Amino acid sequence: MWIPIQINENSAEPLYHQIESQLKSLIVSGQIEEGTLLPSIREFASGLKCSVITVRRVYQDLENEGLLRTKQGTGTFVAKVSSQERDEYREAVVLKALEAAIDAAKSLNYDEEELIRLFMQIMEQRYKAT
Amino acid sequence: MEQSLAVELRGVVKRRRRKKIGPIHLQIPQGYVVALVGSNGSGKSTMLKMIQRTLQPDEGDICWFGEAYAGELPLEVHQQLGYVGEVPESEESLMTAEEAARFRSRWYPAWDEERLQELLHRFEVPYHERLSRMSKGERRKFEIAATLATKPKLLLLDEPSSGLDPFAWKKLIDLLQDCLEEEDVTILLATHVIDEVKRLADYIVLVHQGQALGMIEKDQLFDSWREVWVRSAGVGMKGLPGVVVIREEGPSLSKLVVQEPHLDELEQVLENNGVQVLQTRSLELEEILELWMQGYPPAGLAGEAATYS
Repeated sequence: MWIPIQINENSAEPLYHQIESQLKSLIVSGQIEEGTLLPSIREFASGLKCSVITVRRVYQDLENEGLLRTKQGTGTFVAKVSSQERDEYREAVVLKALEAAIDAAKSLNYDEEELIRLFMQIMEQRYKAT
Repeated sequence: MEQSLAVELRGVVKRRRRKKIGPIHLQIPQGYVVALVGSNGSGKSTMLKMIQRTLQPDEGDICWFGEAYAGELPLEVHQQLGYVGEVPESEESLMTAEEAARFRSRWYPAWDEERLQELLHRFEVPYHERLSRMSKGERRKFEIAATLATKPKLLLLDEPSSGLDPFAWKKLIDLLQDCLEEEDVTILLATHVIDEVKRLADYIVLVHQGQALGMIEKDQLFDSWREVWVRSAGVGMKGLPGVVVIREEGPSLSKLVVQEPHLDELEQVLENNGVQVLQTRSLELEEILELWMQGYPPAGLAGEAATYS
């Protein structure tokens, strides 16, 4: 199974973090379903051009967090993600995006009122339409 | 390292007319792919030949799968070593692929004829052609297939992809990948192909002027340096933590190369001094190796290996 992870070779973020955070969000967001068999460590490492040591570490970390489980002899599977975890994840993603937007506004000297006005304008466009 | 070792070199020295190789200390963990990289003539091929025991070291010991042997290497150990050299052996040149395979199969009890046939088919190697009439790439593909048919536990590859077209190269990488997946094989390969290192290797050993400068996990190596581009002319190296190279790249534009563990600290210092950071990127493997050869080993190089350099 192919896992859509994009490595940015020029990122200052270590490879290990990139893989772990992307795999984690794919699982928690439900893009990879419960019970999915992940690629073997060697196969995944080859696809990502990293070492098996890194992939093993990522699998182990996510297993410790309860997101993956390993069956002896068969491989590594995606575990069940609780709805609470999923909600926490959703909130974290949206919060991060909003914070980035507010930071951008602040750096361009928008004041609170202007920003709220813009925010409401966009809300109206996006939510009314649907 | 608690892990079991496929091969270990302890203070191995080989004297050549023009140069000396070693003393080399190296531990190759079982089940991994270790890439030997370094410039031409740095000693990679000699190391592989000593591990294959076609060359005897002048000093030091080599242990195969945890054991050293005085004198001849026992046949059972030899049978577990697979070696594909840079230049094919001339003795077999007049044989066809089929004859050479039959000849070799007598020496290897684990010989897998089915596998050989499958590989030759996969690589499109003519079975009834004389080896001397094959193209360089075909010959190489035969060598690789015939070596894998012996089911080696330690596979020594000296620039395995030289002479291969890109399609055969891809097949080779996939093939080695499959071997690693299905069997308990360790691969030690000497290579100049960066993409080969990226696709296959778990650990990297830099060989430079006859010395193994150390072994490091590939991803750790790639993460060991950062290049920071700053808007400022004539930045002094003084007081900049972890910076080893500094170069002016244009009017008020400088490039700093910093050890990754010092990156945050450096960015803080730059900010405090009002120096604007434009971009940060990681280095290419060539650049990392070049720094290493110039005496700047990657951060996090295993302590033991570092002391040998």
